[in-house]
Amino acid sequence: MNAVPTDDELLASIRDLFEVVDPPPADLADGVLAALAAADLELEYELLTLVESTGVPNGVRSADTGSDTDSGPWTLEYSSDTCHLLVRVSTVDGTRRIDGWVVPAVPMAVSLSPVGSSGVTAQETQVDDHGRFEFTAPGSGQARLSFVPAAGDDPTAPRPFATPPFLV
Amino acid sequence: MYQEHAFPHLVGVMSMHETAENPSSSSVWDAAGSAFRRWRDGDQRALDDLVRLMSPVLWHVVRATGLEREPSEDVVQSTWLAMVRSADRISDPQAVSGWLCTTARREAWRTRKQSTRSTPVEDDALEFRLPSPDSPESTVVLDDEHRTLWSALSRLNERCQRLLRIVATEQRPDYTRIAADLQMPVGSIGPTRGRCLDKLRAELNRTGGAR
Repeated sequence: MNAVPTDDELLASIRDLFEVVDPPPADLADGVLAALAAADLELEYELLTLVESTGVPNGVRSADTGSDTDSGPWTLEYSSDTCHLLVRVSTVDGTRRIDGWVVPAVPMAVSLSPVGSSGVTAQETQVDDHGRFEFTAPGSGQARLSFVPAAGDDPTAPRPFATPPFLV
Repeated sequence: MYQEHAFPHLVGVMSMHETAENPSSSSVWDAAGSAFRRWRDGDQRALDDLVRLMSPVLWHVVRATGLEREPSEDVVQSTWLAMVRSADRISDPQAVSGWLCTTARREAWRTRKQSTRSTPVEDDALEFRLPSPDSPESTVVLDDEHRTLWSALSRLNERCQRLLRIVATEQRPDYTRIAADLQMPVGSIGPTRGRCLDKLRAELNRTGGAR
């Protein structure tokens, strides 16, 4: 600091000071993200309901090591008033893959997002003409899928929808 | 007169007297605007970026109101929930930081009011005190410059302490709302800020801090 600090220099020093003496809790952002994960989907997206599942492993996160080649495929079936979604999670040569099939088969973007501290890699793809999509290297852990129909004039296109978190 | 809302609707965030911003804070606001835009365009990851970027900023905004640490965490969280719910009302992505700060400050004040309702002290808005740098509450080890600054700050009156923390924290302080919050005429914020800074400079000078 020079002989006489300017107003802006002083304010910058005060800001620095409080960043040191009153730092935010280390998990502040994580707490926010957890709360948003629970709440925002319901608000921004129509939340799909799990109607059936088969073969889902019991462990919350059996797949962190990525070497559990023995875990068999499992399927999850979701629906809402307007959409139906089938998700199959399988392991091929030690690598997870996700195959999905959504009805109605309209053009839309599908996003795979990790939930919490998950080994899932966020990525996005498009649904094909038959409503099918896949993620060939999703990683493993808790994740969710969200669907955003292509913006168009089609009034019958569903509004954005998403699954609750599930295990990949 | 100033009306309380649980959450403000989209409010104007143009400030009356913008202070010069340091480049890093300005880029935080730009980055926040761009993350918000990406999120609104459907990129879910952008929300994570936005939250990680702005939560520490909101923390300081909320703490500047004098709210305790634990409720401050709740306020930061409810601010984000409010943003998600009101996202379509934030028409200009560049305004999102201002919107977040304003919402956080409002919610912090509302929370403070509720928690202090049992002690109806007229001036409880001014109840804000820096712990002494040598007190047991200050567990942080400060370097000399910070210690000197803290000592000087703690010798100012509470209104100055509060106002300086707020204007130092918010890169684009919204004087109209700060005035409402601090129950001061808006026209007096600028001069009061100047006087407080002068006092601080005098204190620093007296203690040899302004090297």
